[in-house]
Amino acid sequence: MASLRSSEPAVVAVTGPMGEPGGALAARLAARGVRVLALGPERPESLAAEVEFRPLDLLEPAAHERLAELCSKEGVEAIAHTAFRSEPTPDRELDRELDVIGSLHVMNACAAAKVARLVVASSTLVYGPWPDNPNFLDEEHPLRGHPEAHAVQDRIEVEHELERFRARHPGVEVSVLRCPWVLGPRSDTSVSRYFSLPVVPVPMGYDPLLQLLHEDDRVDAFEAALLGGPAGVYNVVAPGVLPLSTLLRLAGQRSLPLPAALLDRLAYIPSRSRTGDPPAAFYDYLRHLWVADGSRGWEALGTPSYSTKETWMSFVSARRMRRYR
Amino acid sequence: MSESATPARDAELREALAGLRREIRSRFASEPETASAAPSRQRRADAPRFDLSRLEKPLRSIRQRAATLGMREHAHETDDFGMDPEAVEALRPWLDRLYDRYWRVEVEGLEALPEGPLLLVANRSGLLPWDGLMIAHAVERARGARPRFAVADWLMAQPFAQPRLARIGAVRACPENALRLLRSGRSVVAFPEGARGATKPFRERYRVQRFGRGGAVRVALEGGAPLVPVGVVGAEEAHPILYKATGPARALGLPFLPVTPSFPWFGPLGALPLPTKWRIHFGEPFALGQLRPDALGDELLLSRLSDELRVCVQELVDEALRARPSVWG
Repeated sequence: MASLRSSEPAVVAVTGPMGEPGGALAARLAARGVRVLALGPERPESLAAEVEFRPLDLLEPAAHERLAELCSKEGVEAIAHTAFRSEPTPDRELDRELDVIGSLHVMNACAAAKVARLVVASSTLVYGPWPDNPNFLDEEHPLRGHPEAHAVQDRIEVEHELERFRARHPGVEVSVLRCPWVLGPRSDTSVSRYFSLPVVPVPMGYDPLLQLLHEDDRVDAFEAALLGGPAGVYNVVAPGVLPLSTLLRLAGQRSLPLPAALLDRLAYIPSRSRTGDPPAAFYDYLRHLWVADGSRGWEALGTPSYSTKETWMSFVSARRMRRYR
Repeated sequence: MSESATPARDAELREALAGLRREIRSRFASEPETASAAPSRQRRADAPRFDLSRLEKPLRSIRQRAATLGMREHAHETDDFGMDPEAVEALRPWLDRLYDRYWRVEVEGLEALPEGPLLLVANRSGLLPWDGLMIAHAVERARGARPRFAVADWLMAQPFAQPRLARIGAVRACPENALRLLRSGRSVVAFPEGARGATKPFRERYRVQRFGRGGAVRVALEGGAPLVPVGVVGAEEAHPILYKATGPARALGLPFLPVTPSFPWFGPLGALPLPTKWRIHFGEPFALGQLRPDALGDELLLSRLSDELRVCVQELVDEALRARPSVWG
């Protein structure tokens, strides 16, 4: 871990405590002795007992006023904004409302209540899978996303808004953490479900290098960014890359290569269970490179304890344990 | 854990291991245990003549083949740019054969190269990256470390080609990749002519085209690596291009579809290169270390250096052409 500054914030607010990074992050901070306010529409059952809860619905039009009021009253010094859809839903408008407008509410509240630090969850998906990507994308690389992935396009919009916000409010230290696909024993996302299919459909003729991040390492990175790591935009990724075929081989999984055009049609398969959004873009992320260069993030926020391979093995072995229990 | 629990735990572990062994045996039934081999042979004698179970093994292998179609059978680890050392080892005998017997590659100037990572800049020829493979092979034989070779975008974006090329050390041609490789101590073979090099007409095959925007010089400067001009002769005649079909090529994402004496007339077989005689000449490295530190901002200087580099490569090509008695050597 990079050396943290002495002025650790005493009160931290976390949005999206029902989501994966938010809940674990709130628990971690509370265990460390920081006063944590979890903000969400209702208290999730899984939330640790030490974490205080304050109701806040980012979909409300007056959410920024309520948040600003709450921040000044409680003396919040840092906000971790993790309230994003973990995966797209069929309702694009609602997704956008939460992801983009919700983030704007948080930014406005930070400015109004003079919160010193804002840490926002983003994703390396914003770089987009493009055949002309270099093997490693650094933080300055243009965010090209994927035209068909509306959730990714929303995240790009949030990043642009954050850039504007940073220019207008130099008093607020803003950190953006871009994570790749996050896996681990707890993960239950469209990506983890895709990789858990009995036969994994893959695009024929492609075998891209993939990069992962362990869920615990994501929490570590957020903790470091909140508690005094240098502000900035960082790729938070596990060291090492592995080809898709190697991942599946390591898990002992069968794969079914299908022509890319056919896969896009069948794209509903992995997400059939929860979401109606045809993730046509998903298979493009399994065709072309979108690996990020994590060196800057490692220096600022510490090196993750799991490599990409270890992350994958942790995910696979936890899944195996569940199956045999 | 307490002392008394240890024997009980040992027994538990032993049992778990035995269970694992049983499971492994049941999965790999093709290697029967010696004890059970004899009775099974006996059973087969009085079984009906056509035994379905005999089909099981070939069927399984067909199924496995089908499941991994379009992917390499092996799933070994690769390095950060996707090169798989085992794939390279598997290919080495073939590369050696191509290098020694088929193209009878002769190399000059390789001994004089400095230690450490190099940026090798060569003339581009043909659509397929044979020249990059052979230069990398020559350098590896002389120095041990295998340089990566840059491959144009359109080829690195092709399905089936892309994963295979990456496994044997190809990287997409872009300054970011070259710089990263040089900084991590690996040499790179680059072809700054780009698409212009691959698409030049046969009669101008050994006229080196303009070098992009001076990217090679910039990368060498930034990466602090010596810039080595390389001239390759023979690769052009391996695929003499008679005609470029641009219409059908566009649908495939290729710059053009080559029509050679053998392709597409003989189908995929026609894509095999001809056994021409190759020469690879390595020139003297550019002394970039003597430049001012602010040279990176001097566009004029960079483009002059870039042109100088092109002239060097052209001279090496001419020299190699003179040294070669004929196309077939």
